[in-house]
Amino acid sequence: MYLPYILRYTLALVVFAVVATGCQDRLDEPALNRTFNEEIDYSQSANIILPTIGAYADFYSRGWETIPLLSVRGDDVNAGGLGDQQDFDATDRYIYNKDYWMYNSLWQLNYSDIYNGKTAMEQIELYRQAGADEALAVQYSAEVEVLNAFLLYYLTQVFGDVFIPDTGDPTDLLVSPVASRREVLTYISEQLSTVLPALSTVHPADRTDIPGGANRYTALAIKARVDLELGNYQAVADATSEIINSGVYQLHDDFYTLFKTDGKLSRENLLELQYSDYGQASGDENFHLYNFYGPQGWTPAVEGAGSGWGFYEPSLKFIKFMLDRGESVRLETSVLFTDRGIAELRTDPDYQDLPAVVSNTTRDGDVINNYARALFASGKHYLPSDELTPGRTRYGTNKNYICIRYAEVLLMHAEALTRGASGTAISAEAAVNQVRSRAGLGSLNAVTLDDIADEKFAELALEWGIRYYDLVRWERFDELNYDGRTFSVPEDIYLPYPQNQVDQLPALGN
Amino acid sequence: MQLRKTFALCALLLSAASLTAQSVYSGTVTEVDGATPLIGVYVVNQADGGGTVTDIDGRFEITGKVGDTLNITYTGYEPQQYTLTSQTDLSFELGAATALLDEVVVVGYGTQRSRDLTSSITTLDDEDIQRTPTGVVTQAIQGKVAGVQVVTAGAPGASPQVRIRGVGSYPGSNNEAPLYVVDGMFYDNIDFLNTADIKSLSVLKDASAAAIYGVRAANGVVLIETKSGTFDAPAQITYDGYYGVQRAQNIVKMANAEQFTRMALESGSEADISFIDNALQRYGRSRINPAVPDVNTDWYEAILRDAPVQNHSVDVSGGSARAAYSVGVNYFDQEGILDMKNEYERFNLRTKVDFRATDWFTIGGNVLWSNATQFQPENGAWFQAYYAVPIMPVYDPMSADSLSGLSNAQDLGFRGGQNPLANTLYNENRLKIRKLLGNFYVEFNLLSDERLTFRSAYNSSYSTIDQRNLDFPYFIGNDFQRENSVISRNNSTFFNQIWDNTLTYKESFGNNNLTVLLGSSYRDEQFEELRLRGLNFPTDQDAAFFIDQAETLDTDREATRDGGSRFYGLSYFGRLAYNFRNKYLVYGTFRADGSSKYQEKWGYFPTVGLGWVASEEPFFNVPFVNYLKFRGSWGELGNDRIAASDGATTTNVIVTSLGDRQFTGNQTSNVFSALRWEVVEEINFGLNAELLDGKVTLEADYYIRDTKNAAIRVNIPAIGGTVLRNVGIIRNSGLEVALGYQNSTAFGLGYRLSGNAASLNNEVRDLFGQPFIDGGSAEFRQRSIVGQPVLAFFGREVAGVYQNQAEIDADPVAIENNLEPGDLRYVDQNGDGLIDDDDRVVLGSYLPTFTWGANLGLDYRGFDFAVSFFGQTGNKILNRRRGEVIFTNDTNLDADLVENSWRGEGTSNLYPSSAGRRKGWNQRLSDQWIEDGTFWRIQNAQLGYTIEKGRFFGAGSPQLRLYLTADRPLTVFDYNGFNPEIADGVDRQTYPIPATYTAGINVRF
Repeated sequence: MYLPYILRYTLALVVFAVVATGCQDRLDEPALNRTFNEEIDYSQSANIILPTIGAYADFYSRGWETIPLLSVRGDDVNAGGLGDQQDFDATDRYIYNKDYWMYNSLWQLNYSDIYNGKTAMEQIELYRQAGADEALAVQYSAEVEVLNAFLLYYLTQVFGDVFIPDTGDPTDLLVSPVASRREVLTYISEQLSTVLPALSTVHPADRTDIPGGANRYTALAIKARVDLELGNYQAVADATSEIINSGVYQLHDDFYTLFKTDGKLSRENLLELQYSDYGQASGDENFHLYNFYGPQGWTPAVEGAGSGWGFYEPSLKFIKFMLDRGESVRLETSVLFTDRGIAELRTDPDYQDLPAVVSNTTRDGDVINNYARALFASGKHYLPSDELTPGRTRYGTNKNYICIRYAEVLLMHAEALTRGASGTAISAEAAVNQVRSRAGLGSLNAVTLDDIADEKFAELALEWGIRYYDLVRWERFDELNYDGRTFSVPEDIYLPYPQNQVDQLPALGN
Repeated sequence: MQLRKTFALCALLLSAASLTAQSVYSGTVTEVDGATPLIGVYVVNQADGGGTVTDIDGRFEITGKVGDTLNITYTGYEPQQYTLTSQTDLSFELGAATALLDEVVVVGYGTQRSRDLTSSITTLDDEDIQRTPTGVVTQAIQGKVAGVQVVTAGAPGASPQVRIRGVGSYPGSNNEAPLYVVDGMFYDNIDFLNTADIKSLSVLKDASAAAIYGVRAANGVVLIETKSGTFDAPAQITYDGYYGVQRAQNIVKMANAEQFTRMALESGSEADISFIDNALQRYGRSRINPAVPDVNTDWYEAILRDAPVQNHSVDVSGGSARAAYSVGVNYFDQEGILDMKNEYERFNLRTKVDFRATDWFTIGGNVLWSNATQFQPENGAWFQAYYAVPIMPVYDPMSADSLSGLSNAQDLGFRGGQNPLANTLYNENRLKIRKLLGNFYVEFNLLSDERLTFRSAYNSSYSTIDQRNLDFPYFIGNDFQRENSVISRNNSTFFNQIWDNTLTYKESFGNNNLTVLLGSSYRDEQFEELRLRGLNFPTDQDAAFFIDQAETLDTDREATRDGGSRFYGLSYFGRLAYNFRNKYLVYGTFRADGSSKYQEKWGYFPTVGLGWVASEEPFFNVPFVNYLKFRGSWGELGNDRIAASDGATTTNVIVTSLGDRQFTGNQTSNVFSALRWEVVEEINFGLNAELLDGKVTLEADYYIRDTKNAAIRVNIPAIGGTVLRNVGIIRNSGLEVALGYQNSTAFGLGYRLSGNAASLNNEVRDLFGQPFIDGGSAEFRQRSIVGQPVLAFFGREVAGVYQNQAEIDADPVAIENNLEPGDLRYVDQNGDGLIDDDDRVVLGSYLPTFTWGANLGLDYRGFDFAVSFFGQTGNKILNRRRGEVIFTNDTNLDADLVENSWRGEGTSNLYPSSAGRRKGWNQRLSDQWIEDGTFWRIQNAQLGYTIEKGRFFGAGSPQLRLYLTADRPLTVFDYNGFNPEIADGVDRQTYPIPATYTAGINVRF
């Protein structure tokens, strides 16, 4: 009888002992399929480019709603009728809703990319400390700073007084005060000055490590925009002169193709959001949602090409302005016409005789059909269906989104000089005439601020709200009272803070 | 013999006919007074299964031989067993039942007598579960357990959402499901089980009952025992099968072509009117009303169908002196009511063996193999059918797609193609779900009389889910096309193991009864998945649906995935159950759980319970009350379903385009938080009573359940996004009552009545100092506010509709916002004279505050009838189908909304005008889209007739039961949708819940 009992007890004891000792250390196993930061080997110096590319990827992945929202209030573009996104349409008519999701989204996306950029800079710094090339580390860090400057610039353009993200921790904003618009602009200008020496002077297209990456002239162009806002015209002229004198940039020959596949990394572009389908019929695709800008109904030259959603409609005011000036290629490039739109234009007795470019068929053979939502669609955000990589049907896929181009630099230069600054490069007239000449217009002998304003309108319409922010800066508020709109100063200049942010950030409530 | 192995039923019919030395026994059954006859008492000979029912004088006759055992059973009375001797004249006296309290209840790692419980456990037996014709066990418990909310899923093979005592974890992170323990193995989901294989299902509702499962128990525990054999019992062969049909109920009535046309005209939108004109041109004019196109499509009719369901189970069980076995096979097949390849088919095999190797050593095992194929529905079709316009036919002779002939709303000018059939015709989503569950155990008796036993059990579960989604190409229009055929595969493997070792000591000395349990448990969980996608495969040959056959392999990073996870846990636990004179009850468990998931490795989960059986006290002398117990408990539980190490700073690989070349980069997360398990703390007070000689039973519980360290998403200021942190407190509290009554009348009618009801109050108590956390989307906001239910609907309150210009002129708000008659008037909640988002209030929660169930059972002679009801109230539903009019407002709507739109003074004070519906002002989330989810339902009705063994077809014929079931035949509610059961309260494309009508047969040899 003893043996079985001894056996039983021994077995039970052994089992408990095995569990207690054998399984204990399993508890320290790490989770699978993750790369923990502690395990990154920063001594792999070549990898210093990885966080930098990550920052560009973040910058390129702009939400589809953000750029239209920051542009829609200008007299160059309308919301594209009712349907959905009523508050987008209301914003176009200067009726603001602090609760509208797009406001919050613009705020969050810009700030989150700024903070992500700061995290990328911290990662670059870790590589530098572990022995990566000092100059390269400083340059990459500076590039990320340029991207952040662009994002912060638009935050203050849209919302006025905003936070300056000093540290890398967003929770610090809980106790931060809101900086005045002037402080924000000054901050951006100073930050850019600080990083200038570290930046590359090679044209973005010629860079091999980061093709299309930001360089010294990108920084100067943003600084010029900021200094225009600050009224530092001499600083503007200094920056634009340096860009012009560098000889790195020149206008793209054909205004129309600048906004098509041909314009990717053109000599004219100082900064662009890059997208690609890599020439493949399927597989990886980095794209921007251009559908928002596209016509809702079309008969594409290449059957099967998808159409757009019909938001973002060039205004009748802009079209008439262009027709009055006798514009051809810039009108053709900026506007896609529907028959309904053309008929609407003809209801005005002054516009019976229309040039050939006013047609519902583009030069690439895409026919823009009538659709309920809008009369016109944006041409600068249109990619002809025959330029799509066979196999791809998404509207505008594989098209880059140009942020800053040389034509704007020339016109900023002209404005600074006209306002009394002295430049080391070409004259104001020469700058304006370069732009006019490409558009097929004759030269002006002398330029006034009005000329520059008109030229900017014609050249840069539908792009990044440049028109709206110029009108506000020039205090030409009357221009914004068009098509039944009434712009009230100052309350309509800036969008209200998104309610979501006011709820979270006490400083915005005061 | 070979035939018998293959379950050939007819062979079994014959073989049962060999009888020896049978005699006829006769006798009477009376109450304990020995005089009052009991009518309709079942008397069954256990040896051959033959049985009879007592007549009006309580008399019966039955055949048997010496040594056979008779079972005498009668509803509401203690059953008796009697071994036949040579005496053929018998008499039995049955006493009223107190059976419920002597029932043995399965608790974690052991059993307890029901009368010793100090916690809240509800047990359902196989009969309760099997009445519902379903492939998913959890569906069968709906309405049967107070405090357990089951939200039905209509799609074949889909699992209902089960909530035990409210929502403890913050919803949306997939960590709300209770723990299911099937024969010792842990599962999140038990959709693979056949209802007929289940012997009992126990819901451990309160913390005290569930705490033995420690870190996995926070959302409640459901213990399931599958059927096992019985030692010393002859083979029992059972076939059960049913066949039936499912039919959609409460189909939403959509606006017809005439109503739609009227709405378009009323909208004043030129575009919409032009679409009507286009339809008139394309399809002609209706002869009845020439202003309406000659088409009137009911899109729900176009995508719905009646669908069959069938189930067949064969079970063989029995045992010798040393071995007991139970072997079963089951086939279940259910098609979906969505008219596409939508089906769930499952084949299960089960074997369970227990073997008494020696007098001190038992060994056994249980293997369950489940093989299922599921074709999942395209739920988008439900949503598209709501929006598709009735002025377009399903098939259009002028269709650009000559193959299918599907119509395209873009041909009429609409933005989308709308036709839901593109979705149902050109997609196939197949899952092959295979599960192998194996349990093995040994048990030693270390002291005599089984006072000290050691048990070691190894449980494992191996499952694979092979998912194959096919997207077939089509071309119905430029913007209504799919260019590439796509085949995607996603293969997942799950392998989980649990090794439990327990030592149980039972001792009684004097009036003291003691049970002590000590144990350890090791578990690991592994998961791996591989995902691939191919483009342009040969779509015309079923045999070629492989990625190998595809033209190109999709190299998109999102298309290819290789992932996995693993997790280890180690636990020590103990339990003490003590009672003195069966009167004073003390209960306690303690579990220490170690986990590899979190930085903090160990968690400790204690519980205590106390009970007092007042009716055992000498001074207790309340007439009619036979038994009364008061009990109370406290306990802490954990929830480790929180994502491992979420929030730890990690780096992700991304690709982006630079100069049209693909570059790889890194993005590093910039928020950090150390996570750990959530802790649930609960107190529970309850009582159990039996009255009127056991005819009435009552159970009541009140609980307060706090989830502390709830993992909630904390907003990150400025940059948006959230990070999970263990910082919230969510409280659920409620009262649960279950009442039962059973009796029989003098003429042989037995009846049972029971009911249960539960209240639930869900409240967010703390959110890390934040006043609220937003959920839902910007347009359809849900918000968790401190002091309010989790994720309550949050929007404006409609005060009515502006009826005329005078009302507009009188209201500064209306003037300020350029409103017109027919627009909504909102309540100015903060009284600032403005209407904006500051006027939003909580509009209700998706959690019902009150649920109830009721059952009625009748039996008379061979007939039995049972009907159950279920209902809930207090919850709200966001009718998002209606709400999404804000995105596209030229499409169709339901008839109620269209008919009752404002169209002139006094026509509606509820819905805005058709024109108004297009204005942002009227599109804010408001209570116009938040509807009451109250409903009640006839959950199940079943009528059966039993033919006793040998009754009609000679002595060898089996017992037969024929039954008809109507499952969920009637649901009554006001909500404007297919059904008011919406798991998260947001109804956009919920699969409708069909009514099921089946006929079945049950044969016992």
